Amino acid sequence: MRLILRLLPALLVVLSIAAGRAQERFTLSGTVTEAKSNETLIGVSILVPELRTGAVTNEYGFYSLTLPRGTYEIVVSYLGFREVRQSITFDDSRRIDFQLEEEAEQLDEVILTEDVERLDIRKPQMSVAALSVETIKKIPVVLGEADVIKSIILLPGVTNAGESSSGFNVRGGAADQNLILLDEATIFNSSHLFGFFSVFNPDAIKDIKLYKGGIPARYGGRVSSVLDIFQKEGNSKEFHLSGGIGAVASRLLAEGPIVKDKASFLIGGRASYAHLFIPLFDLDNRAYFYDLNTKLNYQVDEKNNLFLSGYFGRDLFSINDLFVNTYGNAVFNFRWNHIFSDKLFSNLSLIYSDYYYGLELDFVGFEWDSGIQNFNVKYDLKHYLSDKLQVNYGLNNIYYVFNPGKIIPNSEESGIVEEQLTKKYANENALYVDVSHELTENLSLGYGLRVSQFNRLGQDEFYVYENNNPVDFDPFSLVYQEATPIDTINPGRGETLKKFLNFEPRISAAYALNDRTSIKASYTRMAQYLHLLSNTSSPTPLDVWTPSGPFVEPQLLDQYALGFFRNSQSGEYSFETEVFYKEVDNRIDYIDGANLIANNAIERVILNGEARAYGWELLLRKNSGSLTGWIAYTLSRSEQRTPGRELDIDNGRSGLETGINFGEWYSSPYDKTHDLTIYANYELSRRWSFNANFLYQTGQPTNYPVGQFQFEGLVVPYYGLRNQERLPDYHRLDIAATLRPTPKPNRKIQGEWVFSIYNVYNRMNAASINFRQNQDTGRNEAVRTSIFGIVPSVTYNFRF
Amino acid sequence: MKRWLLLLSIFWFGLAGCEEVIDVDVPVEEPRLVVDGLLRVDTSQTYVPVEVRLTRTAGFFEEIQPVTDADQVIIFLQILDENGLPSRTVVKSLTQLEEGSGVYVPDPSFDTDQRLLVSTVVENDILYTLLISWKGRRYAAQTKYVTSVPIDNLRLGDGTLFDEDETELIVRFTDDPDQDNFYVFDFGFGNFLASEDTFYKGQEFEFSYFYDEAFEPGRELQVGILGADRTFFNYMDLLIAQTEGQQGPFQTPVATVRGNVFDVTDLDNMENIDNVAQPEVFPLGYFAIVQEFTEQITIE
Repeated sequence: MRLILRLLPALLVVLSIAAGRAQERFTLSGTVTEAKSNETLIGVSILVPELRTGAVTNEYGFYSLTLPRGTYEIVVSYLGFREVRQSITFDDSRRIDFQLEEEAEQLDEVILTEDVERLDIRKPQMSVAALSVETIKKIPVVLGEADVIKSIILLPGVTNAGESSSGFNVRGGAADQNLILLDEATIFNSSHLFGFFSVFNPDAIKDIKLYKGGIPARYGGRVSSVLDIFQKEGNSKEFHLSGGIGAVASRLLAEGPIVKDKASFLIGGRASYAHLFIPLFDLDNRAYFYDLNTKLNYQVDEKNNLFLSGYFGRDLFSINDLFVNTYGNAVFNFRWNHIFSDKLFSNLSLIYSDYYYGLELDFVGFEWDSGIQNFNVKYDLKHYLSDKLQVNYGLNNIYYVFNPGKIIPNSEESGIVEEQLTKKYANENALYVDVSHELTENLSLGYGLRVSQFNRLGQDEFYVYENNNPVDFDPFSLVYQEATPIDTINPGRGETLKKFLNFEPRISAAYALNDRTSIKASYTRMAQYLHLLSNTSSPTPLDVWTPSGPFVEPQLLDQYALGFFRNSQSGEYSFETEVFYKEVDNRIDYIDGANLIANNAIERVILNGEARAYGWELLLRKNSGSLTGWIAYTLSRSEQRTPGRELDIDNGRSGLETGINFGEWYSSPYDKTHDLTIYANYELSRRWSFNANFLYQTGQPTNYPVGQFQFEGLVVPYYGLRNQERLPDYHRLDIAATLRPTPKPNRKIQGEWVFSIYNVYNRMNAASINFRQNQDTGRNEAVRTSIFGIVPSVTYNFRF
Repeated sequence: MKRWLLLLSIFWFGLAGCEEVIDVDVPVEEPRLVVDGLLRVDTSQTYVPVEVRLTRTAGFFEEIQPVTDADQVIIFLQILDENGLPSRTVVKSLTQLEEGSGVYVPDPSFDTDQRLLVSTVVENDILYTLLISWKGRRYAAQTKYVTSVPIDNLRLGDGTLFDEDETELIVRFTDDPDQDNFYVFDFGFGNFLASEDTFYKGQEFEFSYFYDEAFEPGRELQVGILGADRTFFNYMDLLIAQTEGQQGPFQTPVATVRGNVFDVTDLDNMENIDNVAQPEVFPLGYFAIVQEFTEQITIE
């Protein structure tokens, strides 16, 4: 660690010299915003055609471009917006803030293509899936509720466990391996209602990026992907109200200036109707969710910008008040953008984030609370050394408090004894340098290093096991069993139970064969110190997170990706294909029959295994014209195994262990051999547009019983090796039509109707197949459960 | 605690589930021996009702057949002294009284009484070994007697969880505060519940159990509370989870639910404990001797 700290300034000096050696140079910097709202724009190109160079605005809309003395034409372009061309003389460093106007305003024909989705041929960044909020809002979804996560699943390499399953799986990874950031704050559970909807209100979102590989060094802590979501700042010019009324939920979002052009606010709420799906029960049941997004932005001066943002979401279910379940995320975030110079941009973030899960079981007589809290301090700097070289570096510290659960008697009569399961504490530090470097006209490199360090801190009660081994293996019955602790120690919170240090290099390269074609390759190493304890096919809201420590090693990823990228001459079509291979060490697996809930000694039911995934992704997009869309296909394999632990006589293990599943590789629950999606959007006229998507996926791995037996009158199906069978293949077609009535000249309100049909041909996709004895006939049967058949819905969206 | 997951799943299915019975081709394994050797000790009686039921596994859609041709079924009692060392051994021989039933009971044709006295079980520290020979292979299981606690009160409630066709039964018992306890409740009709006392140690504890059937008035329900050690608790817990199915996306990985009966044909003695070389060779089932208290209640 100290070595890195010493190396860092040296490295920067070297880079600065490399940049400063050439002829006299001047810097143009500033921000790019949307003219009507002052909303900053992310990913706008500031091009210098004469020099074939340029810059791109960062996630706060800032750009910096350093060029030799001279006069150049600068083109500021962002698809969907009117291009700005300006001749600028570089004889002094100066600041120019550009404002772009939406192109649609000027044209009769609506051309909606999103620059964020277009391929960047020369950038070394690869394996990124970008979707604009506009596209997300158009994709037909069940019950008409536009959904970020359901939309990214249409891209190659991204799948989920089917309808109503939480989270998503990227390149064969688990759902807990995705880093989900909302305005830089970590979101621990991305789903409402067990995955029917995601927690992000699309109205409040500005930009979405999903990194599947080649992940820049500024991100860390999860090994599979990064889903980076930025909320809008709010319109600082005029007040606007927008919203929608749907079949499940309604949304309302207000934004406007507090001080014109200086300070703005945004507040958005979304709530489902209470008693959702209630016709299914005729009892006194409730099920609903709501979320609230807020943001305040204050532009102190040209160099300082402050943001406060918050998110609060909750789900609630109750059945007859016998079973009450509440859970959700809360995020609070303060950020300060400071521009040190025209070449050095900084952002300081102070983030608090919290995930809460509460349950009350009246018929057993208790309440249950669990959750995770974290305090995150981040300082990120972006150094625009020249038009060829940009260096990002920063620091990050996250302090975690894990509450695995507290059980509280819910009444005087309850026989339950109040108990707090031992809280766990940890501290995660990281330091990174990330360089993007245009070596030659055709070769660009991105390279960086993240050094992460994790301290598992002391806790009130910590179990000690014989030979330091919390899981016993019985070589006779071949069963892994929980070991009995021999002692309990009370290490204070100031003590460190275990420390981990990991170096995570990231390298990517792009070689442009010509202006339209390139080859890219990347290598990513990442460490993940938190693990979601979940042995179900899809995470449940009551799953708890646990930190790495004396018995749980951090997950370590190595991913290699290679890709070919091509844009058609006009830019109308783009094609990309990638192959990837990844390995994750220390993927935890659970002993048979492991109880993960309310378990105070989770180390006694887990073993460290490994996972691997590889695949081939293809994506063909049509970016412009009245017909847009894509075809995405992924061929992949995702497996894991947990072999018997090695011979370790010092620790009293014989070395004779079978491992889980006899130590053989088995398909992970998210192994989908084929994954095909087709999405099309057709703009018929200014009034009408049509959308359709088709999905086909290989069925999810599952188990069929290899036999049955009886014990004390119970008919028990029994199973062989894990995940040997598959559910039937999953496929469906959804369609939607959007009607935008011509706005009446004297009314400011703009409305649109979205009519959609989910699962048009009413395919009964299996969510699971259960094997059971029929209570009435006494015969065994296989029962397929499907979630949605055909579902029509209507949503009305408005804005004024 | 796994039941929470089940509750969540039921809720999830309630949200939108749609069920249909379908045809599925399931793989079928070679039959294995299954031992149902749960001996329930009622301490108010003189004898333990010793009944060991032997069956063979079958394909999931096939019929389960009894094992009627076991060559030998014996229970070997090692009575231990204060130091835990065997001081005396007794052998109880079992036979199939009713031809074709697969149920093995103490053999009445012996000169000596092969029945097991409750007093023997309660008053001594005994290591019980069940030995079975069948088709040239030898199987063995070992266990010790585990006590239970009586049910303090049983009453009917009028609550329902998910639909009207349910019967709420409220059970109260007092946990033994001196040790970690595990219990297996037998609610009849193949309804079992495994519970550990982690959160109600030494307490008078009351909970509701919901039958998913509305019983007719006059129907008698019997509830048994069986003692269990950790291994038997884990076994029953897993068994119950496997039979419940219906877990949708919250399904946990399936497990083979091995019990405490082993194939010992190729092992020299019980101390030579290493099966790693033959992980595929195993029978199913469980052998346990536990105390049981029962209570009845009549539906009004």
